[in-house]
Amino acid sequence: MSDSSTINASTFGRLVINKIPEVSSKPLDGNKIELVVPASRIRDVVTIIDEEINDALPESVFGVDLENDNYELIYIFWSHNNRLLVQLRVSLQGENPEIESTCDIFPGLEWHEREVREMFGVNITNHPDPRLLLLPDELEGVYPLRKRFQTDQSRLEETGISTPKPRATSGGEDK
Amino acid sequence: MSPDILEEAMEVWFGPQHVSAHGWATKLTLVGDYVVECDPNAGYFHRSAEKVLEFKNFRQGSLVLERMCMLEAFLAEYPYIAAVEKISEVEVPERAKVMRTIMMELSRLHSIQFWWGQFNAELGFFTMALWPWVDREYTLDAFEELTGSRHTVSYSTPGGVKYDFSDKFMKQLNRAVERFEDRLPKFRDMQMGSPTFRARTENIGLYDVKQGLKWGLSGPPIKACGVPMDLRKDDPDSNLAYDMVDWEVPITENPEHPSQSDALDRMEQRFKEAEVAVEIIKQLIPQIPEGDIIDPKARAKTNRLPEGEAYGRVEGTRGITSLWLKTQDKAQTAYRAKIRGPCIASYYALKDLVPGSKFADFIVIFGSLDPYPGWWDR
Amino acid sequence: MGGVMLQFDFFAWLAGIPQWLEGVFYWIWGIIKGVLLWIWAFIQHLWITIFDPINFMFLFRAVLFPGLIFVVMALIWAVWFTRKLWGRIQDRRGPVHLGKYGGLQLFADAIKLIAKESIIPDNAKRWMFRFLPGLLLVIVLLPFCFIPWDFDYWYIADLSVSLVLVFAFLTAVPVIALLAGWVSGSKYSLIGGFRAANNQFAAEIPMIISTIGPALLAGSLSLMGIAQAQQSVWFAALLPINLATFLVAAIASVGIFPFDAPVADSEIIFGWRTEFTGIYFTLTYFAEFAEQMLYSALIVALFLGGPVGLPFLPGAVNFIIKFIITFFFFVLVSSSFQRLRQDQIVHYCWKYLLPLALLNVIIAMLAIVYLPGLAALLPMGGG
Repeated sequence: MSDSSTINASTFGRLVINKIPEVSSKPLDGNKIELVVPASRIRDVVTIIDEEINDALPESVFGVDLENDNYELIYIFWSHNNRLLVQLRVSLQGENPEIESTCDIFPGLEWHEREVREMFGVNITNHPDPRLLLLPDELEGVYPLRKRFQTDQSRLEETGISTPKPRATSGGEDK
Repeated sequence: MSPDILEEAMEVWFGPQHVSAHGWATKLTLVGDYVVECDPNAGYFHRSAEKVLEFKNFRQGSLVLERMCMLEAFLAEYPYIAAVEKISEVEVPERAKVMRTIMMELSRLHSIQFWWGQFNAELGFFTMALWPWVDREYTLDAFEELTGSRHTVSYSTPGGVKYDFSDKFMKQLNRAVERFEDRLPKFRDMQMGSPTFRARTENIGLYDVKQGLKWGLSGPPIKACGVPMDLRKDDPDSNLAYDMVDWEVPITENPEHPSQSDALDRMEQRFKEAEVAVEIIKQLIPQIPEGDIIDPKARAKTNRLPEGEAYGRVEGTRGITSLWLKTQDKAQTAYRAKIRGPCIASYYALKDLVPGSKFADFIVIFGSLDPYPGWWDR
Repeated sequence: MGGVMLQFDFFAWLAGIPQWLEGVFYWIWGIIKGVLLWIWAFIQHLWITIFDPINFMFLFRAVLFPGLIFVVMALIWAVWFTRKLWGRIQDRRGPVHLGKYGGLQLFADAIKLIAKESIIPDNAKRWMFRFLPGLLLVIVLLPFCFIPWDFDYWYIADLSVSLVLVFAFLTAVPVIALLAGWVSGSKYSLIGGFRAANNQFAAEIPMIISTIGPALLAGSLSLMGIAQAQQSVWFAALLPINLATFLVAAIASVGIFPFDAPVADSEIIFGWRTEFTGIYFTLTYFAEFAEQMLYSALIVALFLGGPVGLPFLPGAVNFIIKFIITFFFFVLVSSSFQRLRQDQIVHYCWKYLLPLALLNVIIAMLAIVYLPGLAALLPMGGG
């Protein structure tokens, strides 16, 4: 059952900012809203999503490595009744930044958070199951999706493939 | 759980080497014939696709995506292309939009035929397993005629499609669709009317739609609960032709457990999806416009992309399949590409759905959610 | 002068040595002759056992037709037939490449499997692991001695309680399955073994009760007697429900679809047969088909009249024609349903099969007493 009226993007944005002033919003095209959330308020915002949008689908949580130890976590939620996409962006700094887990509110985020921890090294606290998800045990602590992780290309000549072109000309170190 | 129950428990790895585990390892704790704990372990299929996408240019990236799930190859490769098209400024010709839509629906049909046969094989019904697979051969013939390969098709590209429909292909397309349409009612009766099948799948794997949404389920597992959640209608893509067709989102409502779905409902749901796919294809075939199949400047525009972020989504056979793309200015490859596959939720849901059921029901629940490890392990 | 007077006369002794040697020689010769005569008598006895006309024909029947070679050839034919029939039911062709219509495929498969390396897991109990598949095949092939292929001559043995003996053998088969699952040393095999024992628990009783019907009507417990009692009317016409329940219970007892849970391909990999490879797999695989053949032959003997049939054909040919038709139905029924869960198997067998089987037996008993015309058809008190 849905609310009497559907929530559109700007209404939802205003609602969140009214409750939590530290959040700022950026509109996207279509019925989508992006909210920039500080790391300490992530649980409050996710709780508001859970309360206001009654059929929120947690699509994913993932990390982005902007270099120099700047990370961003992006949360994406989709609501069918409101045709609304909510994207949360959290900025984190540090070698192993910390953020609270939200998987008790939305269980579907539990494995996404595990993956963020093992791929990026973001420490997600209060997580019920902090094991490695996809990586084998040898790669624990290696954080492969960070830009500073160099893929092992020592045996590339044996394969007969030339060095991969084109390479990104910015972002990450060149080998 | 009290300690004395745990003492009689037997741990069984429904492990990576198992006929129906599809490459995932689940640790089941059994007491007698009942599963008391279910611990899914993913990661045996991990191919680091997201890192690979940072080294492929914008026309090669969709090939990586398509290998995530080759059964629905046309649907699998589309999110990347949608994201690239949003950031770059290509214009997709009308003909290409219609062709893409037809092939995507045919791909959905193929994936359902495959799943149908596989699910029956897991249930031990080899007769009903092979009959849909015979029809699948006709679909694959159509794929091969169009692109030269049965599974790894790489058909769409940013700006349009690569191959044009020939007359021979149109004949094979019509043959595949007509044959399936002709045999579906008989197969459906045999499948749904079989009392042993109903005994195996009725009231197995029941969950409520709200619970399913919290887990992240989307697509047929949610539509089988009666909620018409379908990205083709909710978030229509301007580069596809779904708005040219008159169709309804298929849902399954079971009066015995409203807003819940069991394995039988999910099977019925996938039949309906196949029917809708056939309907869309049949309506689109006479409506294919003439024109180019690709934007003439597509190659030039997708060599280097401006800075931007885009989120390309498609309603895959199993649910919402999406790719979030971030590019830096004048880059030739993606800066960050995040693939979100629908099967993450299917596998995660087993943790809460399976305990309490019998060991033999595990495979029924698992199969009815249509798992495919490529989408989560990437 | 003195000394002891020798009792012993040296020269007499010396003169007696040749005689003594002769005696020893004759003694040895007597022993050798005795042994040779004994061996000769043994060879004569063996010769008579094999080549005496009565004995030779018995051996011929026991080894060639309808004995071991015939049964093994029929087994190979049955596997080929099953694969082709499954193929056609599933809209494909089955084996086509080797030999005309794929006839040599079975031989190729058997040779390939025997040539493979047999892997015995560490946790398995080695000697039992090697012994059990062979034992299984032997136990399943033995009851073929008692099947009444023909009335007059072409049968091997006929005991007065052969029905009971056949079922005694068949009851041992799930026990061997349970043992095999246990000695394989893996959890999936164990689960499969337990399920096989569960299948036996569910299906043996309806099956045996279904055979009480024909035994009652024929008045004898021997398969030959039951077949002979059907000269005027087949028991399938009098006991149709028993035929159906016996068929279903037989499918459950063998462990084939839909009662496939002990060997569930997708759940417990291959149940109690998981760890058997190479030659052991061949033996268990053929044992399954031999059991199916045995049940088909039993159905023909118990319900379809055995050798009674078209009068211008010899009895054995009648039997074989009916056997082929019954086997066809066996395979057809088993490929039309999917696998039931283990507790559902027990549920259906105890709730539906058993009462139906009992019902038909009771109706048969009442009919014999109260319908005088019926008793005239049957040889009561004979066999």
